[in-house]
Amino acid sequence: MTDAVQSKSSAIRMKSSDLLSRSGLLIALLLLFLALALFAPNFLTSRNLLNVLRAVAFNGIIACGMTFMIISGDIDVSVGSAVAWSSALLGVLAIQQGWPLGLAVIFVLVQGALIHAGAGYIRVRWAVPAFVVTLALFMALRGAARLITNAFPITPFPDSFNFWGGGYILEVIPVPVVIMLAVFVLFHFISVRTVYGRSVYAVGGNEESARLSGISVKRTRIITFALLGFLSAFSGIILSSRIMSGSSNIAVGLEFDVIAAVIIGGTSLMGGEGTIFGTFLGVLFIGLLSNGMVLMGINPFAQEVIRGLIILVAVLISVARTKK
Amino acid sequence: MTEVLQAKHLSKQYPGVKALDDVDFTLNSGEVRALLGKNGAGKSTLVKILSGAISPDEGSISIDGQEVMIKSPQDSFAQGISTVYQEMSLVPGLTVAENILLGRWPKQKRLGVSLIDKKEILLAAREALDQLEVAIDLNQLASRLNVAQQQLVEIAKAISFDPRVMVLDEPTSALAEEEVETLHRVVRRLAGQGRAIIYVTHRLQEIPRVADSVTVLRDGRTIGTIPVAEATPERITHMMIGSDWQRTEWQRDAELGPIKLSVRNLNRAGLLHDVTFDLRAGEVLGIAGLLGSGRTEVLRTIFGLDPMDSGEILVNGAPVNRPDPISMKGNGIGLTPEDRKQEGLVLVFPVENNLTLASLRRVSKQGILNPGKQRKLAEVMVDNLDIKTASLGVRTRTLSGGNQQKVVIGNWLNTQPEVLMMDEPTRGIDIQAKEQIFVLVRELARQGLAVLFVSSEIEEVLDVSDRILVMNQGRITHSRQHDEVNLEQLMALVMEELDE
Repeated sequence: MTDAVQSKSSAIRMKSSDLLSRSGLLIALLLLFLALALFAPNFLTSRNLLNVLRAVAFNGIIACGMTFMIISGDIDVSVGSAVAWSSALLGVLAIQQGWPLGLAVIFVLVQGALIHAGAGYIRVRWAVPAFVVTLALFMALRGAARLITNAFPITPFPDSFNFWGGGYILEVIPVPVVIMLAVFVLFHFISVRTVYGRSVYAVGGNEESARLSGISVKRTRIITFALLGFLSAFSGIILSSRIMSGSSNIAVGLEFDVIAAVIIGGTSLMGGEGTIFGTFLGVLFIGLLSNGMVLMGINPFAQEVIRGLIILVAVLISVARTKK
Repeated sequence: MTEVLQAKHLSKQYPGVKALDDVDFTLNSGEVRALLGKNGAGKSTLVKILSGAISPDEGSISIDGQEVMIKSPQDSFAQGISTVYQEMSLVPGLTVAENILLGRWPKQKRLGVSLIDKKEILLAAREALDQLEVAIDLNQLASRLNVAQQQLVEIAKAISFDPRVMVLDEPTSALAEEEVETLHRVVRRLAGQGRAIIYVTHRLQEIPRVADSVTVLRDGRTIGTIPVAEATPERITHMMIGSDWQRTEWQRDAELGPIKLSVRNLNRAGLLHDVTFDLRAGEVLGIAGLLGSGRTEVLRTIFGLDPMDSGEILVNGAPVNRPDPISMKGNGIGLTPEDRKQEGLVLVFPVENNLTLASLRRVSKQGILNPGKQRKLAEVMVDNLDIKTASLGVRTRTLSGGNQQKVVIGNWLNTQPEVLMMDEPTRGIDIQAKEQIFVLVRELARQGLAVLFVSSEIEEVLDVSDRILVMNQGRITHSRQHDEVNLEQLMALVMEELDE
């Protein structure tokens, strides 16, 4: 009897703590926003806020795929290198090799998906930890990008290409922001409505159960890798359009901002739980924080320290939550 | 009543043990059959064969007169057998409805992408849950359910396959009394629909409430099947034990030494209630209880591995505040843990390192190891405990289970303890090694060591102990001297139902 009461009340406690963590993030986001509005000069202007959104768009697009990756119980540390490699490859193909730009873009997207699918295959075929596989990719892709470009930016792209990364819709809304929002909506839909999306939760939450129920664990994992590779290449292309060059030196350390956004957004590091909407909030949080620190003139090295501490706190919260 | 399940001549051999030996088993439609037996009697092997987790070496299974091949869990479901395991198989991040239909989600194709059909999933899940007549929100995440609700969702999942045969493997072990009643109602209802149900349990008292008949297994064989009206607790325990067991006559000293360890009103929410006992030098104190009775938790809490809510632990009369493994070791207390591979040993270490793992202080000076001293301690232990190993330098992984267990014990003996707590020291080791460990325990006690001995094998507890505590639902329910109780009485005490 007492056991029943206890387990019931602990279930209720879990519910409220979960509510707290979800709304906790919203509250933290609002507090940060208020603080910046009060203390950071020029923060509360539509121009600055749109800039924040544009700045996070490149990370946000990748964070959608990273959310799936972490929900599935894996992790990917190679996405920054994948962005640089895609940008460099686009420059080499479209500018140095003279491919039609559209064809080069499609090629870059496809190879991005395939390389990551290959990494996913190695992950499932030999049961290698995803961290190790993607650590190898992290080094190899960055190296390959510098190899094919000699580490020099490759220019020029045709002016019209600038629309995707630097253009505006209705003369005010940056195009990357619209793209990011579309990707978030699409991935939210995938996560709640598609068989693949729900399988990601099953694989990350209880792999053995999923296998015994006839869900293809390997296929689900490989698709997750491929999607993230595709999104990284996609983000690399838009970033190239923004800076109007193919560069091997961009997106250094981007993987950690992306992973941090996903974790801050409430996705469990142990896999099985998380939402795309939470990741969206996490991306905004990191974006506002970075923007605010710049506006307040905080020493850039100190900014790195602060971001590191924020990631640490987010991970601690995530661990405390999964322990429940 | 028509015959639904017929298993014939099922046998399964594992290295060193015949887990199932020519077992016949038939079950009628609408029948609830309780399946009983001690640990290792063959219950789980039979359940695993029916559920497709393992294949039998010999024998056949028929459903409704048709012989079927069961080679995988999928085969088992497809042939109309659904199994609800003790371990929960739910996916925390999915909803109740999605869990019930895991892997069989109704789909619609749109632009080549498979979408899940939420309406269909809810309908199908509702249908399964309605058969149980319990109210659970289908859109709730599984991670929000309590244990009893999870169990019911597991059953709903099994029902959604519309099985002819359902196997419930100790479904009530994690449930409280009122939840057990709900479950019994559900089981009777499912039987009323004409399904055949195998109900594995340890709780004798629930049998008349839920079962029509009882089958008892022992040492991999069927001892008998009797209608529930004839299944008195005495008769069932007798069938489970047999009459060929003899206890060893140990030489016991009449006088025990002073009290070494005292536990007073130890409490841990939901797990331990007012656990109180004394342990004297030279005494072997056994704890008998079913899985989940709290026997392991007592040892872990005393050793400071798990926190206690309240209570007092005294070593040699002095209270220990906030016990933790380091201070308990310093107080002369050792614990050989339940799971030797995960908790007791570093399997990749050489034997000599595992033998001195808990006594590195003894074999070092200012943090620098003295390999000669380490080797010497290890050598003495290998001799004393008769550990069979190619050398002191081989990886502990290469030793047999029994010898690994001796290494775990030797590791703690090297700390020169006054109290040794042993959790399941005989699990998964061969008979000869078991005998050696009993002899060792008695010898250590003769030399004045105080031993707290926990085993899921009730015979072992009865055999080796001077005094036996019976635990049930986190409480010490009985205390008996070894000569005050026989095996059948002890087993009855262990399996007794507590009213609350």
